[in-house]
Amino acid sequence: MNITLDPLTRIEGHLSIKVDVDNNKVVKAECAGEMFRGFELLLRGRHPMDAHMITQRICGVCPIDHGMASTSAQEAAFRVSPPTNGRLLRNLIQGANYVHSHIVHFYQLSALDFIDVTAIIGYTGKDDALLLLQDWVKSQLQSEKIFPAAPFLPRYEGTYAADAELNVMALKHYLDAMTMRRQAHEAAAMFSGKIPHSTSLMPGGVTELARANTLAAYRSIAERLRAFVVGVYMPDVIAVAKAFPQYFTYGRGPDTYLSYGGFPENDARTEFLLPSGVVRKGALEVFDASHIGEEVKHSLFNSKSGLHPSRGETLPEPGKSDAYSWLKAPRYDGQPMEVGPLARFMVALLKTPKSPTVVLGQDILSQLKLGPEVLNSVLGRHLVRALECKAVVERMLDWVDQTTPGELTFKEFELPQEGEGMGLTEAARGALGHWISVKKGVIDNYQCVVPTTWNASPRDDHDVAGPIEQALVGTPIADPKNPVEAARVVRSFDPCLACAIH
Amino acid sequence: MSGVTRREFLGYCARLAAIMGLAPTMTPDVVAAVEALAASQPRVLWLQGLSCSGCSVSLLNSAPTNVAEVITRYISLKFHSTLSATTGEACGDIVKKMIDTGGFFLVVEGSLPKGMREACKMSGAFMNDTVAAAAHSAAAIVTVGTCASFGGIPAAANNPTGAIGVPAFLKGLGETKPIVSLPGCPCHPDWLVGTLVAIIRSGLGKLDLDEQGRPKMFYGHTIHEQCPRFADYERERFAKKFGEEGCLFQLGCQGPRTYADCTTRQWNGGTNTCIKAGAPCISCASPMFARNEKMPFYTYRQDFNADITAQRKGEKE
Repeated sequence: MNITLDPLTRIEGHLSIKVDVDNNKVVKAECAGEMFRGFELLLRGRHPMDAHMITQRICGVCPIDHGMASTSAQEAAFRVSPPTNGRLLRNLIQGANYVHSHIVHFYQLSALDFIDVTAIIGYTGKDDALLLLQDWVKSQLQSEKIFPAAPFLPRYEGTYAADAELNVMALKHYLDAMTMRRQAHEAAAMFSGKIPHSTSLMPGGVTELARANTLAAYRSIAERLRAFVVGVYMPDVIAVAKAFPQYFTYGRGPDTYLSYGGFPENDARTEFLLPSGVVRKGALEVFDASHIGEEVKHSLFNSKSGLHPSRGETLPEPGKSDAYSWLKAPRYDGQPMEVGPLARFMVALLKTPKSPTVVLGQDILSQLKLGPEVLNSVLGRHLVRALECKAVVERMLDWVDQTTPGELTFKEFELPQEGEGMGLTEAARGALGHWISVKKGVIDNYQCVVPTTWNASPRDDHDVAGPIEQALVGTPIADPKNPVEAARVVRSFDPCLACAIH
Repeated sequence: MSGVTRREFLGYCARLAAIMGLAPTMTPDVVAAVEALAASQPRVLWLQGLSCSGCSVSLLNSAPTNVAEVITRYISLKFHSTLSATTGEACGDIVKKMIDTGGFFLVVEGSLPKGMREACKMSGAFMNDTVAAAAHSAAAIVTVGTCASFGGIPAAANNPTGAIGVPAFLKGLGETKPIVSLPGCPCHPDWLVGTLVAIIRSGLGKLDLDEQGRPKMFYGHTIHEQCPRFADYERERFAKKFGEEGCLFQLGCQGPRTYADCTTRQWNGGTNTCIKAGAPCISCASPMFARNEKMPFYTYRQDFNADITAQRKGEKE
């Protein structure tokens, strides 16, 4: 039996999932990206410094990450590096956007798959916001309106959390999370000018200055965010894990992981808060960018297949036969790789086993009487994302302290007529790379390989399925009319389709 | 209404009046409009074309208003791809039923791939067709952001999809319904919330729009006129590198050709704004944003001549 989840909502963008179900289990899955803009083509012939303003518009959820990858690629081509303060302010901007992104992902995008929103009807407490929500849900359900209580209903029916206290608490936190993520963006904007789509990021650093009063204001929001992440977000993820333990066994990806390294800790940008590495067959390898290639056999492009992004091509062919997605299929050494918080945690587990994040992760797992082998799962991804959010928000406070008020944030550079550069970062959703080639003073070629391009990729030249496609196989579907289990698997990857296709 | 005291509600309306640029004495007027809004809860259908969801994220950054409150009390958000609990087939049913019933506010985020309809699909349908049908039965149409309003970056030179703004797309189909355009990359949340309240307050017909469909209360003046560094411009104190004091014109600032109020309104709840942060205006709210590949955002290390001056002032494309 075929089931289509189109659109798969509560992610960024246009995603359609097709699954074949046999004996109430997924036996085959296809991920199709449904929206193409052609950023790589429209960058050609432009001034190279247009690139980080244009590419931020690839995605309104993680524009900063694209800004980081693009300024880094330009800096490689222009042979310049930001001064210490420039690096630190960028970490502060990107860090605040991470916190926004991870909070949104758990509460606004994923929680409604686990939490029973109708539990609010039985609420007997005195919280103003919850009483208001209760009033509204009750009056909506009693009314003759079409689709009452939209956008929270209708939903896939299925097994939601049964614990009334958990449901009500999580709904309260859904509302609180809206405020916390907004404040995270306000912290970012102190140095990014505005967000989404920062204007202050620039090759050579940032245009905003490091002022003592702004740093203090940032710190005060960061403290509040830390309190929310530690006191609310982490406990909620653990509560959901306890209520849905079977989701430590669903959503198993290819067990191959890639991280480029995120948040540079030195000016040479060789050390990172989130370490770089590749994990295959349970062993850590050094990441080598020359192993990346993008395959297009099942993608709606007629470019040459398997090209390294520094020589990549983007030639759309909307009617191509045997192709089903606007995503290319990036492969490392010919293999699909999972990227994102789980990949970063798996790298850290082997590379920095004594780091506070890994130690805390192990602690939480042992309290649940589980080991790290369960992390390759729906709940594993939610858990390590929360752990990472805590690590980033705590480190933001250190970066504030390392910034010297009044010191330069921007370093001057010459604009060469010719040059090439690769810019790598870890976006909230995973490994992100931009490749720029400049000829006669303008962009000759530009390619982006984006986290969700890895995770939601279609089959490759050897018909090997992408990570989300693999993770869906084996998922039990209790009721084919309400395939909520499949939706939970896909959302655990935090897909962003505008990013993936660009 | 439980939960919110009358005092809190009045404070909320005063803040709304402020974001609409109204005097505090107009607050009772806004109170009436918001009460009408809460009583009628207009149905809203939000569709995404060639979009990045940045305008949706920006709406979540709305500071004087709380988005959860907006969607539970003042509007009835029937479908929004990023927020709806609804997944899969039922989404298509909602959109279809809305179009069949009519009388809703249509909000479109993102441009449309007029030259390559396969470049945007939802529920197995081409978004071009869904937007056309929804626009036909909608009571009012609002395009949020520069992409939906004018085409934006997906419509930049050399784009492969033939991307086009929603008003131009609908005009091509003979649709004559008035359209309110709220450009900006992203759209400022006040511009959207303020416009919705203004439509309820005095009706779509009374909204003072310019020839591009933009409400004059938000887009009536240039960035340059409201610039915090205007005195530097007058004294010809120009910054030559980033992070320097002075007017940003010679680094490429396009404030003189850009109509929007972000310099005074500021972004992210009044936290900051581009020029204040030392970043030249890249004209993200203008019809020509990013469209011309021969007009770079920055003029860093370029000889700044009369031609460039004319371009930046909007006297020449």
